[in-house]
Amino acid sequence: MGEALTVDSTLRCDVLIIGAGGAGLRAAAQISEQRPGTKIIALTKVFSPQKSHTTTAQGGMAAVDPKDPVDRSIFHMFDTWKGSDCSADQNVIKKVCEIGWEEVVWLERHGMHFSRTEEGRIAKRPFGGHMLNFGETKALRACYEADRTGKGIMDAVWAESLKYGVKFMGQCIATEILFKEGRCIGAIIFRYPEGRFLAILAKATIIATGGNTKMYLVSSNCRGNTGDGLVLALNAGLPVMDLEAVQFHPTGMVGPGILASEALRGEGAILRNKDEEPFMEHYAPTAKDLAPRDLISRAIIKEIREGRGLFHEGHDAHHVWLDLRHLPKEVHEKKIQEVCSFFKRFVGVDPERDLCPVTPTAHYQMGGIPTNEFGEVQNDTQGIVPGLFACGEVAAASLHGLNRLGTNSLLELITMGRITGERVIEYLKDATDPEEPSPDDHHMVFHQFSTYLHAQGREKYAQIRDKLRDLMMEKVGIFRTENSLLEAIEELRELKERATHIPQGTTSLRANQDLWQVWELNNLITVSMVIAQGALSRKESRGAHFREDYPERRDEFNYHTFAYMPKFGEVTLEKRPVDMSMFEAKGGHYELFDYIKREY
Amino acid sequence: MPKSYSITLDINRYDPDTRLSWIQTYQVEASGILRFVDVLRRINDEQDPTLAWSSSCEHAQCGSCGIILNGKPLLSCELLVKDAVGQFNTHRFKLRPLTIAPVLRDLVVDLEKAYDRVHKTKPYLIKPVPYQPEGDEYRISPKTLEIYSEATRCINCFCCATACISGYHHFLGPNVTLANMVRLMDPRERAKKERTDILYREDGVYRCHTSKACSFVCPKDIDVSHFLALGKEGRF
Ligand SMILES: Cc1cc2nc3c(=O)[nH]c(=O)nc-3n(C[C@H](O)[C@H](O)[C@H](O)COP(=O)(O)OP(=O)(O)OC[C@H]3O[C@@H](n4cnc5c(N)ncnc54)[C@H](O)[C@@H]3O)c2cc1C
Ligand code: SF4
Ligand code: SF4
Ligand code: FES
Repeated sequence: MGEALTVDSTLRCDVLIIGAGGAGLRAAAQISEQRPGTKIIALTKVFSPQKSHTTTAQGGMAAVDPKDPVDRSIFHMFDTWKGSDCSADQNVIKKVCEIGWEEVVWLERHGMHFSRTEEGRIAKRPFGGHMLNFGETKALRACYEADRTGKGIMDAVWAESLKYGVKFMGQCIATEILFKEGRCIGAIIFRYPEGRFLAILAKATIIATGGNTKMYLVSSNCRGNTGDGLVLALNAGLPVMDLEAVQFHPTGMVGPGILASEALRGEGAILRNKDEEPFMEHYAPTAKDLAPRDLISRAIIKEIREGRGLFHEGHDAHHVWLDLRHLPKEVHEKKIQEVCSFFKRFVGVDPERDLCPVTPTAHYQMGGIPTNEFGEVQNDTQGIVPGLFACGEVAAASLHGLNRLGTNSLLELITMGRITGERVIEYLKDATDPEEPSPDDHHMVFHQFSTYLHAQGREKYAQIRDKLRDLMMEKVGIFRTENSLLEAIEELRELKERATHIPQGTTSLRANQDLWQVWELNNLITVSMVIAQGALSRKESRGAHFREDYPERRDEFNYHTFAYMPKFGEVTLEKRPVDMSMFEAKGGHYELFDYIKREY
Repeated sequence: MPKSYSITLDINRYDPDTRLSWIQTYQVEASGILRFVDVLRRINDEQDPTLAWSSSCEHAQCGSCGIILNGKPLLSCELLVKDAVGQFNTHRFKLRPLTIAPVLRDLVVDLEKAYDRVHKTKPYLIKPVPYQPEGDEYRISPKTLEIYSEATRCINCFCCATACISGYHHFLGPNVTLANMVRLMDPRERAKKERTDILYREDGVYRCHTSKACSFVCPKDIDVSHFLALGKEGRF
């Protein structure tokens, strides 16, 4: 090594998609179908888009069939609003819920293998927080493909993009977005196999890099969910929104935190404490085991704290039980086959006969890169960045506010993916080809990578990674206080400094896993800092964000948190109002879209 | 406490810069409930940060982590140490990269290249049936779906392709053929002729000798050879 790092080739396309997951490829499919001949490049960190994290989603995708005899999309809108603890944007809720069913049909028409009813129609199951008649009884609203719904969706959008000739580039990371006079013109890419940098210039760029909860000790996310997309935005001086809203899913398998889908409780599974008591009855008398996730996660931690949990010696972790023993054999074998096999393989219990040990796992980032209802990225609370779009888990329009309902994320990927695609088509109408950036442009990533490659410290990557995970779990997790957050912020500053000295095993750029991981770890620390700062400033409890020192929701916080951090640790916060257009329109049931109480 | 095991791993290494290959031996003290990906991570953390391997979901849903362990292609994210010791009846394991694509470094192979073949089989609906008059979903009975739904569970981990005795040079491979079978059996696909052309081409299903190695190794327990046999018989 020793030679200077450079960009050694440039590719051009019409649309660059950073993140070929469910959202990114739904956008790609929309653009390809509606504007044939558009040159699209879609990037992924993994080998193929098919291996993106969407493929692990289990339970279902929410959508109301307009012909459903009992369910109505207004109920779905209400549930989403209530579930968000009155912090989602109503313009987005309305739009997404209205086109949800069209998108389910789109997926079905593009080859997805949904489970079926006896009549051959798409089957539906209940899911947490989804109710009929404004909260009365549980609704059948989650369309599913057994317990591999995400795989079905991923396969459909991946195959459809392939059909239209979208060019996939795997094993690469986008390390920096490029701008010319305020317009986004593409990105710098680093390819893992050859260890080379290239520039991809595009008329329009979509960020769809997915989730980021790998900074938590227990997480349901894949190895690459390190918040890269958020860091791309932050480094460009753009804001991120509501990052303090991290969802902990109540039922991670004890140990690695692999998800045991809410679909299990949808099918009738019951949470029990050490006395085998079904404790959710005390916390949510109506919704019980299908109450929203934040509520159940807190209930589980409470049971554990008050001595009614259990301890798993092998994994050195506290847990409660999930009971599936009473479910019919048919359900075990057909409807929840994958998850049951995970329990058998990874935990060594047989859900048909044994109680299954579960514990909350960091699962989903409700916040993200702020966009308007068309997927256009905002540069402050008013303006947008020309040429830059975002959708999927990395974006926040926001459908979920500070808490999301299960099955609403897959819905968001697909609907917002399509909507963003449509907006990109509009944008392309008069978009010109970007000019070549100057070859002397100095890219931040060169500086980062040289620092990493030549670091001489003694502390290893693993020490810092583990420290970060413990710290975030303990101090910025399900329960937070001013003290815990202040401590976390100090420790994160220190960790950031320490992370720059991690020594590398080799200075080769080719297939250098260590280098790649150090870059990701830095991203995680960056995102963690914003989560902690957002959590500190939000002196209330709302949705997934819970402050023990401020356990109630407070009206003065009826807004979204906008955070900028152009330099590590220097966070500036702003407020974006919550869109209340359904309430303001004064249509039927408008009063339910006011700041209502959230009880289940 | 769960039992701990002293295991020895002999791992095939390859350095793309020097193009040298060698076998390196690592000793690891590991709790029986660790997965092999955890063991590899442990080696990175404690002994050798340069050892490269790959994974993503780490719960058997993405197919990124295939390796050959003591001769058997499998997912390193779902094999627990205690199960490996029991299943292979040894504490010494040989880890090699899959053989169906060029090695990038150590245990990492270029699955991106391997996917070129999956693309050849056109995993989408080439020509979907027309829309329902009501505008909603096409009706498929659970009975019909059940005939092929097992095959839709394939995660393209290429374990079967690695195990296949028909080799990889003259045969598209079991998983690729399986993907074609899914669409042949899917009532929504109208391009059956184009599909059978792919199925019966020179490197198609007749290259399969029904040895069932694919079904034996498939981590998703898909009976791959059963679907290939249906293909040979033209039953779809
Ligand atoms: C285990 C699990 C189960 C779930 N179950 C459900 C469910 O039942 N229902 C529901 O609604 N939601 C569910 N969710 C949530 C939902 O699956 C995710 O929010 C969603 O799949 C995210 O999709 P995405 O397209 O935004 O991102 P992903 O599918 O994660 O795709 C992101 C893509 O971006 C790429 N990428 C990332 N960084 C970079 C970079 N720097 N450069 C280039 N490419 C990059 C990745 O490699 C990947 O290809 C579940 C989540 C998990 C983890
Ligand atoms: S059929 Fe089984 S072994 Fe073969 S690629 Fe698919 S999942 Fe892997
Ligand atoms: S049954 Fe056919 S495809 Fe499967 S391993 Fe044997 S030869 Fe290969
Ligand atoms: S890492 Fe996804 S299958 Fe092993």
